Amino acid sequence: MAAADSCDGISTSGGGWEKTVTLVSSDDARFEVREAAASLSQTVRRMIRAGGDGGIPLPKVDARTLSTVLEYCNKHAAVPAPAPESSSAEAAAVDLEWFDKELMHVDLATLCSLIRAADYLEVAGLLDLTCKTVADMIKSKTAEEIRQMFGIQNDFTPEEEEQLSRENAGVFE
Amino acid sequence: MRLERQQDQEYRRRFMSMLRQQGQERRRRAQTQTRDGSIASRGKRKGSPCQRDDGSQVADLDEIPSLPEHIWQHIHSLMPMRDAARAACVSRSFLYSWRSHPNLNFSKDTFGLIENACQKDESGRFFYIKVDHILKKHSGIGVKKLKLQIDSDYSAKDSRYLNKWLQKAVTPGIEELTLIFAPFGANYNFPCSLLLNGSGDSIRCLHLGCCSFRPKVTLGFRSLIRLHLCFVRTTGDALGFVLSHSLALERLELRCCYGIVYLKVPRLLQHLNYLEVSGCIDLRVIDNEAPNISSFSYGGYSAVQLSLGKTLQMEGSVSYARTEPPSSMPNLEALALNSQTERAHAPMLQSKFLRLRHLSIALTAANYDYLSLVSFFDAAPSLETFDLNVLQLYMKNVSVFEDPADLRHMQGLQHHNLRSVKITGFSSAKSLIELTCHVLRSVMSLECLTLEAPQSGFRCSHPYNKSGKCSSLDRYLVMEGHRGVMAIRRYIEPMVPSTVKLHVLEPCSCHAVELQMSCLS
Repeated sequence: MAAADSCDGISTSGGGWEKTVTLVSSDDARFEVREAAASLSQTVRRMIRAGGDGGIPLPKVDARTLSTVLEYCNKHAAVPAPAPESSSAEAAAVDLEWFDKELMHVDLATLCSLIRAADYLEVAGLLDLTCKTVADMIKSKTAEEIRQMFGIQNDFTPEEEEQLSRENAGVFE
Repeated sequence: MRLERQQDQEYRRRFMSMLRQQGQERRRRAQTQTRDGSIASRGKRKGSPCQRDDGSQVADLDEIPSLPEHIWQHIHSLMPMRDAARAACVSRSFLYSWRSHPNLNFSKDTFGLIENACQKDESGRFFYIKVDHILKKHSGIGVKKLKLQIDSDYSAKDSRYLNKWLQKAVTPGIEELTLIFAPFGANYNFPCSLLLNGSGDSIRCLHLGCCSFRPKVTLGFRSLIRLHLCFVRTTGDALGFVLSHSLALERLELRCCYGIVYLKVPRLLQHLNYLEVSGCIDLRVIDNEAPNISSFSYGGYSAVQLSLGKTLQMEGSVSYARTEPPSSMPNLEALALNSQTERAHAPMLQSKFLRLRHLSIALTAANYDYLSLVSFFDAAPSLETFDLNVLQLYMKNVSVFEDPADLRHMQGLQHHNLRSVKITGFSSAKSLIELTCHVLRSVMSLECLTLEAPQSGFRCSHPYNKSGKCSSLDRYLVMEGHRGVMAIRRYIEPMVPSTVKLHVLEPCSCHAVELQMSCLS
């Protein structure tokens, strides 16, 4: 987790010049990130275009969540443009899939924070990944189990609920 | 997009108010509308939500941050139909999301309909009732993907249902439409007029199977990227109405379609890079003018005149090329040809495929002069892999053992990119030996030469083959395979340089017993 201050957004890293930007989380942690990685977020990309000094404020994302989002962005931005049918492209895809799978080994609260952050930051790939993870988690659960997992109140009347389950049973069983 | 959202909001408003009116005794609602429009209720949760006044969120292990409604809709759309329907019972907001589920996939598997012969009619009837029930309740708004796979026998009266469903779900915004009838000969006529309501503008993928597709007016598919027709009755003119205005098209797949005699692929299709035409029995001419095709695959039973953008014209798949400057199809990288015609003369390719890297040819025609294929190497200087299948049930070519004298040497260019050559169904045909010797002599870059004798379709080494034995193979093929291997040992092996790896796959030993038995009988 880098916390350097970068006003002009240019620094040397990995032996070469690379454009970086500084992102500031809701709890004032500063992250210096390669622009290519940060631009996976459409929200950040727009803010970079708009310009400004002193880092890009992201008031809806805390440092802990942001660091995971940036982990995702750094990894995915590092993948070169795919050369179809080459074995290296296939290996890179497998590696990325493995990385994504590992990244999703988090508790439910973290997962939901990541979804909200990915939604706010408009990181489409991460939003799909996290939503798919939740979809897979709840797909074999009953309605009551889903309500308990996410603290959702049942706002149906008992009659409505019964009618709905009857309908579903008629169609799917 | 904005219109879509307004429609959606309007529908949501009406949907919610309808539910409100319906309920008599309602539990106290504890919806909390947060700043970002999140309405997930938090009735059972103790403490404050994980949202600060400034809108920032704190990841707290004890608290699950609530998710906005549009996120739940997205999650819902990623769930299979059955699970999404079950989740609809969670709350009103979930029910709303189910009633506008964007990915509708209906097949007998969706409903777990198990079919056996005596229940077939019944399961078909259930299928129609169930799909009808779901679509009746569906808002019809926001459907992105609709897949209908009709596995039961289709009768004309079912078209009433189908038209109604398509009318409901195929709306502006739809991206993928798949309609497949499993029973062959279903005479459903796809209602093309359906796509004139604006949905034709958003559709990206259209896949039709076993029905008729006969647009009579120009259909402008502004976003269509993939058109896949399989066992579809159509005509060249009807396809023309679609192709001439689908400028974004990237993939065109026509498999076993009836009624297309003349297929014209217009020059306007600048993005078309994949063209596959196979088993279309009425087809006589393919006239391609699309300039950027990088993969072309053709398979057929009858002689077809292929005109591939004036670069290459062939009759009967692999036989004749007209002299034309290489202009219109310079980007072809992969070419697969499958010929079953009886023609047997040499292709003289004056044209060039400068970027062709992978060439695969299947020649089941009898008495073909394989050495003539050398002209392909000359025409494709970038070729890297060459696969040739010469499997013939009864080889009519002259065997090298019948006429061992005067093996021909073809004058050809040296080839510096071809690395891998594979010939399957290898026999002792003299011209095949000549071709292989030519490869060894003139392909300087060759790394791997694989020669396979005829093998059975289901080999003993196949992981699913529990019997441990190859499926049976015609005796003649096995014998010719052995002769082919003898020819390799005598004529090919001595020529193989140390830099080339030679793989020879002999007929499997499973067939030895069959051969002995048939010799005894």
